[in-house]
Amino acid sequence: MPSSMNDERPGTRLAILAEGLYLANLLLIPGIAFLVLLALWRRHRDAPPLARSHLQQTLSASLWAGMLLIVANAMILLLGGYHGPYTWAIAITYFTMAHSTLILFGMIGLVRALAGQCWRYPLIGRPLPPDCPQ
Amino acid sequence: MKYQSQSVAKLYFIAAIGLFVGQILFGLVMGLQYVVGDFLFPEIPFNVARMVHTNLLIVWLLFGFMGSAYYLVPEEAERELVAPWLAKLMFWIFLAAGAATIVGYLLLSYSDLAKLTQDDLLPTMGREFLEQPTITKLGIVVVALAFLFSIGMTILKGRKTVVNLVLLIGLTGLAVFFLFSFYNPENLVLDKYYWWWVVHLWVEGVWELILGSILAFILIKTTGVDREVIEKWLYVIIAMTLITGLIGTGHHYYWIGTPAFWQWWGSIFSAMEPIPFFMMTIFAFNMVNRRRRNHPNKAAVLWALGTAVMAFLGAGVWGFLHTLAPVNYYTHGTQITAAHGHMAFYGAYVMIVLAMISYAMPMLRGRRAANSPRSQVLEMWSFWLMTVSMVFITLFLTGAGILQTYLQRYSDQPLDFMTVQDKISLFYWLRELAGAVFLIGLVIYVVSFFAGTDEPEVAEKVEVDA
Repeated sequence: MPSSMNDERPGTRLAILAEGLYLANLLLIPGIAFLVLLALWRRHRDAPPLARSHLQQTLSASLWAGMLLIVANAMILLLGGYHGPYTWAIAITYFTMAHSTLILFGMIGLVRALAGQCWRYPLIGRPLPPDCPQ
Repeated sequence: MKYQSQSVAKLYFIAAIGLFVGQILFGLVMGLQYVVGDFLFPEIPFNVARMVHTNLLIVWLLFGFMGSAYYLVPEEAERELVAPWLAKLMFWIFLAAGAATIVGYLLLSYSDLAKLTQDDLLPTMGREFLEQPTITKLGIVVVALAFLFSIGMTILKGRKTVVNLVLLIGLTGLAVFFLFSFYNPENLVLDKYYWWWVVHLWVEGVWELILGSILAFILIKTTGVDREVIEKWLYVIIAMTLITGLIGTGHHYYWIGTPAFWQWWGSIFSAMEPIPFFMMTIFAFNMVNRRRRNHPNKAAVLWALGTAVMAFLGAGVWGFLHTLAPVNYYTHGTQITAAHGHMAFYGAYVMIVLAMISYAMPMLRGRRAANSPRSQVLEMWSFWLMTVSMVFITLFLTGAGILQTYLQRYSDQPLDFMTVQDKISLFYWLRELAGAVFLIGLVIYVVSFFAGTDEPEVAEKVEVDA
């Protein structure tokens, strides 16, 4: 169950930052936010388990997001043809669904980070380490 | 139920659910008419089915908001409602006026209805969503004034909280902006300009205040999180709603003869409109995640969380999809608008009213805090059936809208409207199928009120902080 609002677990701020960067990469500054996240992940290898877990989850989820949003859409356009109306119907609907789902995952990740809890992204997240507070 | 006068909410909730069933039945009729053009013609022509479908939605949501206010305000103000008799009287007047209007739509031609109701004395009929005869509109004003008197006086005489004050601002805005439905200039641009002051400033303005305050109330009651924390979130959410939503009206002014600067203003401000919905989702999940009690009414918590998520998707994401002027140039008025409208109304307003009904109805029916587990299981089934089918309705309409945009407006050799309608009929059939599943969900929702009524409820568990 949740911790008290005033008690902050070690690594909470870094965990919140990681989730914020994941969402910023999807919503505001794609690419730039990912590079900052990557730099944080490399720099904080000895961070507390909570922060390390959120850094790993968001980095892995961002890579998956790149695959699902850019590579998969490029495949749809390549296979379906740029001038095919059905191609665009599938590509736009798929992109909107996939993007929204990834944002919702990030929102839940942010909520967990705010509460000082670890969280594994469904389907695309790596397994959590055993010492991670949940 | 802490205050006896809260019981007036029950009447409003029952009427809301009844009208909701009517709205969905007409939606299914209309959905079928998209693919079987003469279905139920001439008894229920498409334009009449559409009018009944949208008008019933507005009326039942108003019943839902009013019922929610009558339940919420006494508890927040810590006193009995002022003039509960007036609330009961207005309920019957509103119901009678609403029913008479719908019967008028179904039994008379629209022009005969206009003649019968003397529309020429103060012409207000003939505009989308505001098709009601002038006399019905006047009735709505009377009901709204009486309602605001009752709610406003209760708040003024009692405890003022952020929740009930935000609710009062939202409800007052609802009543004030409705007055623009009486302004009917001959100039079509002016007409549309002010028509949006009712339609847009309701659903992307003051209604969001009502949504935010009801959601905050439910979360205070079901999570046990400090009121101060929830109220701070509410302040920020409503500020963002008003900052983005008011000037965001400009996204309706792109191609109707208004100055071109609206394309910039409308695009920029309405592109920010998803922000309050994004915050609302974080807010709802954050509060439930930090809860200090496990409220026995799990169905109400599910509806509250579902509201935040579906409002973000329907109003936020699907709104953004076609809100930028260069995109809207092609998509304006296509099925993409219908996709957005369906999910946004369901997510933001249908679900919050159902969340409030889910929270309040057990107490209004004499239970301590929640329905029996059997009833809640049925209600949660209905939640998933209706929500998942609404996601599919939206996806099918989105697919139809993209194809429609491409074939009719973007292609080098554009096709005419009816040819395109034929080409996207598969999406309409799939939408109808999803609509039928929605109806099954709604039937289960109604059945849940009659299931396990004699069974006990689950005891509440108080959470211990980690």
